[in-house]
Amino acid sequence: MFASLTDKFQTIFKKIKNKGKLNENDIKNCLHEIRIALLEADVNYKVVKEFIDSLHDKIQQEKISESLTPTQQIIKIVNGEITLTLGSKQNDLSISPAPPTIIMLVGLQGTGKTTTAVKLANYFRKKGNLPLLIATDIYRPAAIEQLQVLGEKSDLPVFSMERNENAVNIIKAAIKYSSKKNHDVLIIDTAGRLHIDDKLMNELQEIDENIPFQEKLLIVDAMAGQDAVNSAKVFCDKIKVSGIILTKLDGDTRGGVALSLKKVLGVPIKFIGIGEKVDNFEPFHPERMASRILGMGDVLTLIEKVETAYNEDELKKLDKKMKDHNFDLNDFYLQLKKMKNIGSVDQIMDMVPGFNNLKNRIDVAKLGDREGELKKIEAIISSMTVEERENPSIINGSRRKRISRGSGTQLSDINRLLKQFYQIKEMFKRGPKLKNFSFN
Amino acid sequence: MNIKNVFSQFKEGLYKSRIELANKLAFLFSDSKDKSDFLEKLEELLILSDLGTCATAEIMNEFQQINFREYKENNFIFFKEKLKATLIDILNSTASDIKINEDRLNIIMLVGVNGSGKTSVAGKIAYRLKNINKDIIMVPADTFRAAAIQQLKILADKVGAEMINTKEGADPASVVYDGISAARARKKNIVIIDTAGRLHTKTNLMNELEKIKRVIQKEANDCSLEILQTIDATMGQNAIAQAEFFNKSLGVTGIALTKMDGTAKGGIVIAIKKELDITVKLISCGEKLNNLYDFKADKFVEALLD
Repeated sequence: MFASLTDKFQTIFKKIKNKGKLNENDIKNCLHEIRIALLEADVNYKVVKEFIDSLHDKIQQEKISESLTPTQQIIKIVNGEITLTLGSKQNDLSISPAPPTIIMLVGLQGTGKTTTAVKLANYFRKKGNLPLLIATDIYRPAAIEQLQVLGEKSDLPVFSMERNENAVNIIKAAIKYSSKKNHDVLIIDTAGRLHIDDKLMNELQEIDENIPFQEKLLIVDAMAGQDAVNSAKVFCDKIKVSGIILTKLDGDTRGGVALSLKKVLGVPIKFIGIGEKVDNFEPFHPERMASRILGMGDVLTLIEKVETAYNEDELKKLDKKMKDHNFDLNDFYLQLKKMKNIGSVDQIMDMVPGFNNLKNRIDVAKLGDREGELKKIEAIISSMTVEERENPSIINGSRRKRISRGSGTQLSDINRLLKQFYQIKEMFKRGPKLKNFSFN
Repeated sequence: MNIKNVFSQFKEGLYKSRIELANKLAFLFSDSKDKSDFLEKLEELLILSDLGTCATAEIMNEFQQINFREYKENNFIFFKEKLKATLIDILNSTASDIKINEDRLNIIMLVGVNGSGKTSVAGKIAYRLKNINKDIIMVPADTFRAAAIQQLKILADKVGAEMINTKEGADPASVVYDGISAARARKKNIVIIDTAGRLHTKTNLMNELEKIKRVIQKEANDCSLEILQTIDATMGQNAIAQAEFFNKSLGVTGIALTKMDGTAKGGIVIAIKKELDITVKLISCGEKLNNLYDFKADKFVEALLD
């Protein structure tokens, strides 16, 4: 995420770090390079201008040219400025005191509204709500079916009607339906539309006038260029958008849109979509994102993810097993599965300070196909007997052959798995105890 | 098809961005205090059109030497012509049409990131070819996205083209294999393949595309293969990376620039052409099936600056 902008910033800071004291000219060059880096990252031209002016002022105020540790101070100022540009504090979705909470997703074509609708519904379900998805894209061929299929896959209910029904009527019928079924969050997927398409923008206004929305969220593709601000502005003008969800942040996007939207529109970014899976979806934290952009990692998000994956009891149990040397293949498989829930290897690396640099040197692709690998491991372990799982040392040649046949894998796969298992066991024997891993 | 007609429609789509640009050009000159002021405004204009910092810097270079007073006295005519010539020069290339060879199998494969408009362009190309009485088979190789197959089916039915059947989750390469076999068996010489959207950084998904290409090369070695990458005109500098990665994996033969009916300038194709020398072949500009146009560099720039 934002890797190229991160790289640029690190190069810029490295350059001045080697200098010690900075003169006016150094600062001028540094600001120039930051400007180019931001423009290359698709930050809106006007936002860049303001950003640089503001940096310039702050650098003057802090008398950086007299400072003995100027780089640290500049990084601090830039970090603060980026956080400010991104929106300072995290913004939750507002929930209606009298259910249902009705949320509408709007945006240009192809920005990821339908995918996001399902992710958002999944997010609410995890929080204990009973969400209902509502399909109102009556224009694009097979759009309603797309939502239905996605909903079905994630076991989320979808409300839809005939194609020739208009959106307002569909939503009204859905509200009626939802009160019977106790749905407390309604998520409305709308048709993608151009901001200059008067007919469709009027439709949106009509929907807005007739339905009491708690949130109107604009879905924006993180890879969008300079025009993103223009189209978003029209959506905001027409229906008073209450928040933004940035999608497709799992590519090598430079994140300029993230830096532009809040500043220009005054509307906060509330969530980000970071993958094709339904739980690749996170609340947006400006200060953490600023830290990621500057290559300082995002340990907070990582810790939160570890916390969701493990509870304290489990950790204690695991720690005891390690101590008693009882860690077996069952535990091994469980741990692998949990790690996968935390994120893919490159997602995790993004969050660890300093790892961002490392990432470029490691072939992430090789680490990438962990899902297939995990399936294989699952097959292998489930082809073992209970005894073998608890005491892998008894797995001899003929047992290996049987397991290989049973799981449809190669002997070399089984050997590799066992080797990995012993390595990890060995590592835990010597390594730090888990209880030393503090959450707070 | 009448190019002139086509472009008048295309220009209509560009109407709003054109007005904006023309206003900007006038403003640029009437308001500039001196040369550096003028150059700053030129930079703003180019960056805001998504040309990117590299292409912008190069164009700016050409204008560093200008005689500002002379330009100002001539109003903006001078400048416009020079800017136009510079942009056309970058975009200009040899023939960029999609050619259909009667004597062999023609395969047109659409690739690109999610939401860039592959399926729509597949439908529009089919419509165009069907209108000149070509026999087409459509191949839904996007077996990943929910309801993508249905979407293509609806378009194929509208156009009156045949689509081979498959189901969600099928191996895309095998769907393409079936498509080629079906084309051979039914004696149709055009195959249009719609693939799943994928971010260019997902190596395993890019490998999947490479596998499809290998299948094509093996099963239809003598075919004329067009690999068109759809690029959304609203994209920023990331589109350069998109083009670079897809090109590295597949050897992209051209770009279909989509969503040109908005206010985005699509200036990114200038940067792509400059940095990667990949030509734009088609412009998609509207939701109707006939909103697909051949790309012509001079017309594109003219429509942008007119």
